[in-house]
Amino acid sequence: MKLTAAALDTDFSEIQNRICNFIKDYVKNANAKGIVLGLSGGIDSSTTAVLSSLAIGGEKVLGLIIPEKETVRQKDIDDAKAIAKQFNIQTQICDITEALNNLYKSIPILDQKEKLCKGNIKARARMIVLYYYANIQNRIVCGSSDKSETLMGYFTKWGDAAADITPIIDLYKTQVRKLALHIGIPRELALKPSTPALWPDQFAEAELGIKYEILDLILYGLERFMKAEEIEQQLKIDKTVINSIKNRLVANEHKRRMPMAPKLAFRTPGNDFRIPRNIIKGAI
Amino acid sequence: MKNKIKIALCQISCKREDKKANLEKIEELTVKAQQEGADLAIFPELSLTGYVLKDQLYEEAEIITGQSVKKIEAIAKKAGIYIIFGMPELSEKTHATIYNTAVLVGPKGLIGKYRKMYLPTHSVFEEKRYFRPGYESAVFNTDIGNIGLTICYDIFFPEVFRLCRLKGAQLIVCISASPAIRRGYFETLTAARALENTAYLAYVNLVGIEEGLQFWGGSRLISPTGDVLTKAILNEDDFVICEVDYSDLRTAETFIPVLRDLRPELFSKLKEYSEQI
Repeated sequence: MKLTAAALDTDFSEIQNRICNFIKDYVKNANAKGIVLGLSGGIDSSTTAVLSSLAIGGEKVLGLIIPEKETVRQKDIDDAKAIAKQFNIQTQICDITEALNNLYKSIPILDQKEKLCKGNIKARARMIVLYYYANIQNRIVCGSSDKSETLMGYFTKWGDAAADITPIIDLYKTQVRKLALHIGIPRELALKPSTPALWPDQFAEAELGIKYEILDLILYGLERFMKAEEIEQQLKIDKTVINSIKNRLVANEHKRRMPMAPKLAFRTPGNDFRIPRNIIKGAI
Repeated sequence: MKNKIKIALCQISCKREDKKANLEKIEELTVKAQQEGADLAIFPELSLTGYVLKDQLYEEAEIITGQSVKKIEAIAKKAGIYIIFGMPELSEKTHATIYNTAVLVGPKGLIGKYRKMYLPTHSVFEEKRYFRPGYESAVFNTDIGNIGLTICYDIFFPEVFRLCRLKGAQLIVCISASPAIRRGYFETLTAARALENTAYLAYVNLVGIEEGLQFWGGSRLISPTGDVLTKAILNEDDFVICEVDYSDLRTAETFIPVLRDLRPELFSKLKEYSEQI
């Protein structure tokens, strides 16, 4: 198997159809009135929002723009509004600055200088807002996680990863960019550097320490059970880099699963109750 | 026995855990098949219940003499045609042993069943967690031909189809619940299994989305020389009538004499080496 950019090429028309059918089917079977998602002005949420609008119509998709004082960038808000306008997606702005400040005040041990744990509060606060809209308006929360960031554990547990469906989670970041271009997202936005917006000037590639073009090929090789030596030979990358990615992938499995539980009884939630989701009897 | 028959490829989506709704769909399409002159209506794998049932299989499985097969018998009798469909079959001898079964019913009632031998348990598939594998290939001699039954992942194992052919099958039916990511494999293998056995092959796949799995449809009839004679659309419910002409088997067998050229002594070697893998 050759690890080149061509390995990640796929039929994006087919991918678009399958994702749109998936979204449409899920919303219909859940008897939901629509979708709500966080619209950050970045590539993942824009692509997810556009796919949702293509699936069920933009009028049923609500993109929440959730800025807060520390990380807000007018450019991101403008990008979010522009993509929403282009695809008839509804938007609402929910500024969570004050809520966050109050939340910080309520935590006696809060360290204002520490970035990561405090940043995670922001991601979880956004989740709270999304689920409020979902509950009150009978919407599905649509997550925007992609495969690269999910496999790397580059997300906030119970924060940005918390959702009812994750339509692009099986696409690497470089594939999301190509899909974005395929469905008509402007090039500038499709190629815009990603940021989780947990603190100012935070950019994903800088923080991960690797370009997505390389990371995705390494992850693709690991997905297909290639050995680190084979990946090293093909990509001409030091094996320590490959192993560190592999270790990170494995170490973050806890973020992708239900909480672990001690096995005490006949059937254990999360492990043994294996019940199909999204079945509503009496409706087809 | 008829020399030419018409079959209806009934490519449906199922309503999971709702046998009533699925039986209604089976009845509706069987009536339609009869009205369009079909002798046989074929429905996908586990079409009685839907495919992704997980633990709910224990709730949905039924014995072969249960209410659902009785209902299908009544439908076949009323329409006067044959029906093949799939169901989770509860063993009559135990309380929670389930088979993934294809059932053949005729105008006079139940003719026979086939219990899937190869249960996929990899990637998104977890059939061995729930099903016991079958141990017998199945061919039934009927008024509409000698019909062999197979199910989905069996198609990766040419021996199942060869056994059907050697038992006299003229038409091998493969009912399926194949997700879109596997489409290419099935398009290749359906043609290969027909061609290498010089037999007709009717493939009927599920459509719809269950647990994020999108079933691709693409049901088809393959000639004994491996040609796709007709095929249903992708991803959506469809209903296709097609004709099987058994007189084509003779021509195919003379042109591609694989049955004449079989080497039985290799089969013992296959057994020997497969035990050592």
